[in-house]
Amino acid sequence: MRRDSSSLDKLLENPRLWRGHSQARGMTGLASGYDALDRHLPGGGWPQHALTEILVEHYGIGELRLLMPALAQLSTEGSSVDFVEPRWIAWVAPPLQPYPPALQQWGLDLSHMLIVHPKSGSDMLWSAEQALSSGTCAAVLLWPDVLDDQASRRLQLAAEKGRSWAIAFRPLAARSQPSAAALRIELQSGQTGMRLSILKSRGGSPAVLHNIL
Amino acid sequence: MRVVSPTPSAIRPGEHLSNPQHALALDEPVAKPRISTATVTTRLWFCAYLPNLLLEASGPAAAARVVVEAQQGIHRVLLACPKAEAAGIMPGQSSSAALALLPTLRIEERSRLREQQAIEALATWLEQFTSVVCIAGPDVLLLEIAGSLRLYGGLRSLRQQIAAGLKQQGFEASLAIAPTPLAATWLARAGRRSCIRESSNLAAALRTLPLACLDWPAAISASIAGMGVTSVGDCLRLPREGFARRFGSQRLIELDRALGRLPDPRTAWRAPEKFCADHEMTEEQSDRKVLLAICHELLLSLERFLLTRQLGTQRLLFNFFHLRGPATQLSLGCAGFESRADHWLDLLRIHFERLTLPEPVIAVRLYGGRNQALQAESGRLAFHGKVSEPRLRYSMSQLAERLAARIGHQSVQGVMTVAEHRPHLAWCLRSLLGDKAATRQSAIRRGWRRPLWMLPEPTLLSAERGYPLHRGRLTLLEGPERLETGWWDGDGIARDYYTAVNPHGTRLWVYQNRNRAAAWYLHGFFG
Repeated sequence: MRRDSSSLDKLLENPRLWRGHSQARGMTGLASGYDALDRHLPGGGWPQHALTEILVEHYGIGELRLLMPALAQLSTEGSSVDFVEPRWIAWVAPPLQPYPPALQQWGLDLSHMLIVHPKSGSDMLWSAEQALSSGTCAAVLLWPDVLDDQASRRLQLAAEKGRSWAIAFRPLAARSQPSAAALRIELQSGQTGMRLSILKSRGGSPAVLHNIL
Repeated sequence: MRVVSPTPSAIRPGEHLSNPQHALALDEPVAKPRISTATVTTRLWFCAYLPNLLLEASGPAAAARVVVEAQQGIHRVLLACPKAEAAGIMPGQSSSAALALLPTLRIEERSRLREQQAIEALATWLEQFTSVVCIAGPDVLLLEIAGSLRLYGGLRSLRQQIAAGLKQQGFEASLAIAPTPLAATWLARAGRRSCIRESSNLAAALRTLPLACLDWPAAISASIAGMGVTSVGDCLRLPREGFARRFGSQRLIELDRALGRLPDPRTAWRAPEKFCADHEMTEEQSDRKVLLAICHELLLSLERFLLTRQLGTQRLLFNFFHLRGPATQLSLGCAGFESRADHWLDLLRIHFERLTLPEPVIAVRLYGGRNQALQAESGRLAFHGKVSEPRLRYSMSQLAERLAARIGHQSVQGVMTVAEHRPHLAWCLRSLLGDKAATRQSAIRRGWRRPLWMLPEPTLLSAERGYPLHRGRLTLLEGPERLETGWWDGDGIARDYYTAVNPHGTRLWVYQNRNRAAAWYLHGFFG
């Protein structure tokens, strides 16, 4: 028995062995404002400078409420420090009009809000990439019609480059498609309330949460 | 013959130019009236005379060429370039004779407009050296440089900078410096590379000048020459009264002004406040790289124009002219007031990719929009450590410009709230390009939660036995919140708003009109 555990330790010391959880070390997440969710996310919050995908059944089931505390934190982060221009929050191709009085109630700074309505899918990705890589946006929310593997990789790289948080909202059908996102979350509603499934989490593990909002 | 005396000092009966007391002779001061010496000596005029402007105005060219003008129905050569001169072509020849001598000769019609544009462009360029630049003739530029000497490192350095700049722009100039504008002009016309700083040395320098460089009317020049008078010195020895009677008092005044005895006020040339520049090509061009390079040139001249005035502009308009058909237009917009050519070129590249040119381009024109004084922005001090953290590729306004350049101004916007009870009027879009000041937000309204998603128009919900339906029967959670307002502008509402939830867990914002039928409307989602 003792022999076994020591050989396991030996195996684990092998540098060629890659373990998913080790990525979480040194990562600090952006607190989501929902403790139950934070506990399941590596680093204790939303992955920063990365792409997060949220798969939703249909818009309006709580996908924005899920993000609001974190966005409010990002939006007010810089404003208290002198000489630092607060960073912006960009909305690229939202399906409906985000309602400013409600955003204000959630604590977002409307003077640093950018809303972009591109005319085509390629313009949409281009705009999102520009906003992410510019370094001026703290978060970029986007609603792409299609997002293939290559496009998601580009967004991920742009987010790293501009130290920005990319959030892509996609339909449930995108679940089977590959993606370079650091975090993929699925939101489904049912009789018992909203069900949140973590499909993919870099440095974390899948989980299913109920009624966190 | 009546002599009109323009100023009492100009001519006095009985005076002799040769009279030591009253002569124009430069070493002899005029008795009265005199401008104080100080004002005369503190001015220093720099003259650039452009003898070959006729040729140079149409830009550089490798081939031999001449400029011709129709004289009595025959096109005669006005000016030939050195290569053409080497082939034996001389001014005055007819264009057919010139062509016979050199079949490859390029013949250009004289264009006074082009010359005017060229000299105005040069005047604009020269405004960087002094605030007083005068266009003193079709081919003469005058600069008052006494105030600029220290800044430009002395007379020699300033002269070298101007000479090098003119040469680089393809203009051959004869330069001279003197305390009075006319003296500088005459010296430059005579081709003397003189530099006279003291007015006491002026007389000696002018005396030897041939009368031809005074640019007097041909009849007067001929009649003076007939008297055996060939130089300015000869002129000055003539009696003042007789000189004025014979040749007009204007000539005498000119001599007095050149010597600094009479004031010679000049109006500084002012470039028009609106920028407009052209680039004409000799043949049609459809290569986009070449066109972009031309646009860059135009943007650089815009930059010079704006920088000398410390201005920036927000809109630009490019016109691409075709031989047939209307010009293609391309307008550029920018968030702030901008003068840098690089910045505009960046924006132009984005637009240019998508621009369709129906035909090759023969000329490009750039119009500048409304200008506004540039505002310097304060830099940051290096010891604010946190500042270096996010590395900005470009600022927010640049990002907004880039996005607007590609997807249109209407598609890139900010938002703001308005103090208004009616939900659909409680907010508005705000342009991110332009007015940065309009960021005043109304106070945050506590109390009732508002939905995060808003429908553009409320939609009528179907109902089942009085219960509203939206993918299932709705359950009302909160409400009513009564909004009954707006009677003053004819767009009044009287609604009871409720928060409702459907069987799928979606939270909705629904309302019922109070004074009409009890129909239910959906206005937003809580997201």
